[in-house]
Amino acid sequence: MTTAGPAPRSRPPGRIRRLLGTDLPYQMLTLLVVAALWEGYARTHESILLPTFTETAAATVTLLGEGELWRAAWLSNQALVLGFLIAVALGVPAGLLLGRFSAIERYTDVYLSILLVTPMAGIIPLLVMSVGFGLASRVILVALFSVVMAVTNARAGIRQIDASLIEMSRTFGASEAQIWRRVLIPGAMPAIMTGVRLALGRAVTGMVIVELLMVSVGYGGLILTYRSHFDAPALYAVVVIVLSEAVLLISAARWIERKMTPWATSHHSPRSTA
Amino acid sequence: MIEITNLTKRFTGNRGGTVHALSEVDLTIADNEFVTVLGPSGCGKTTLLRALAGLTGWDEGDILVDGEPVRSPGPERAMVFQNFALLPWASVLDNVAFGLELRGEARGRRHATARELIGLVGLDGFEDRLPGELSGGMQQRVGLARALAVQPRVLLMDEPFGALDEQTRRILQQELLTIWERRRLTVVFITHSIEEAVLLGDRVVLMSPRPGRIAETVPVDIPRPRSFDLHGLGRTEEFTTLTTHLWERLRSMHPDTHPDTHPDRAGARR
Repeated sequence: MTTAGPAPRSRPPGRIRRLLGTDLPYQMLTLLVVAALWEGYARTHESILLPTFTETAAATVTLLGEGELWRAAWLSNQALVLGFLIAVALGVPAGLLLGRFSAIERYTDVYLSILLVTPMAGIIPLLVMSVGFGLASRVILVALFSVVMAVTNARAGIRQIDASLIEMSRTFGASEAQIWRRVLIPGAMPAIMTGVRLALGRAVTGMVIVELLMVSVGYGGLILTYRSHFDAPALYAVVVIVLSEAVLLISAARWIERKMTPWATSHHSPRSTA
Repeated sequence: MIEITNLTKRFTGNRGGTVHALSEVDLTIADNEFVTVLGPSGCGKTTLLRALAGLTGWDEGDILVDGEPVRSPGPERAMVFQNFALLPWASVLDNVAFGLELRGEARGRRHATARELIGLVGLDGFEDRLPGELSGGMQQRVGLARALAVQPRVLLMDEPFGALDEQTRRILQQELLTIWERRRLTVVFITHSIEEAVLLGDRVVLMSPRPGRIAETVPVDIPRPRSFDLHGLGRTEEFTTLTTHLWERLRSMHPDTHPDTHPDRAGARR
């Protein structure tokens, strides 16, 4: 803290100033502007396919009160959570190993690239044919979507560790296990957490895509249903809810990331967290 | 005592030829001696130190420390690194205690030892800071404290002050000597600074490149404790004679040296 002198007495101004130091008020302002533009455009271009902002907001509130939404959320999130956890549980260790033992890289590099660029939608028919329409194929697709981020970031995390830290540990007699525990994993942690956050984003994408293209259940199922009813406000409301969930999850991931790696300066934290 | 005999290390160069990183190096270092190793880039001085540390192997010859052959890193040797090599996520206290932690010493005991050494290197009050919050000089104090914490008999220092600015380097040189005089341990100190080699060492081992070998060993008969502001020690005749001699030798082995080359230019290259 650089402020000198006695602490200011009046508390509300301090609280407001602290709030202004975060990104939240500015993001809210952006939202407000977008909402106003949306409202204006939708009112002047009346169309059954384009609800106004207020209609969407109202539909969102209504939808939140309905069991149908929560059943859909429950279904969707099963695939999301399981697929994401599998991706992290397999992807992070795989990435760490790839980073440490670059000899393995030869065997795997091209497949990672394929996984990174392949339009996943293309393998959906394949999955359905082999695993069926059940939870398993949705989980697999979510995992496939997100695992690449976990692998590549964990690998990069190991690669960017200063080699002299490993040498230093060896001069103090560290075993390979100690080097992993005391140097490699903490050193890679910022990148691992970035990978987890990006994997979460891709998992949400995967969750919705699989429901839209393959198994119309959950959120994707709701979107398809409302589309067939031309119920645009409800359709938009589902999108809003999915987006909100994604934002919440990613904010939580970012918060955990910052808590776990306070020494790292690489992540984009709000200015005032020092 | 450290006995290095006939140490030779070869590796295959880019164009397939064999390069001698070290060639028939013989060197004996007495207990509590402060030896500085001086030489231009590529003379193998860092390879020699890494071999002593047990970080790298070699092709021929032996290294004995107190009669025991060196195969791997050992508890009687500790190293100080040019780039400090501190754990960025660990506090000063945990960094200093790191060597003890790796040896399985209990938290309370290793922290007590670490606090004592943090005091020795003048970092009282900085125990909870992260390395990123410290200046380069302070970071190297942490590196030195970490090495001393494991109570080594031999301290291996790889251009430890090379990354520091001139003033900080002088202060740390002085403090290193004070600590060495108090603790009595063997120091092998790599440097490319002639002044530093003479200021610190009991002996200066001059190495020459391609192949890396010992060109000359020069005893430094300047009495201790040495106090070296350049207006005192730096102006004595012994100091001038030694540094001039070493400079002549170094200049003759420098690849840029040519009869037409102005000495100032060669000197600027380091």
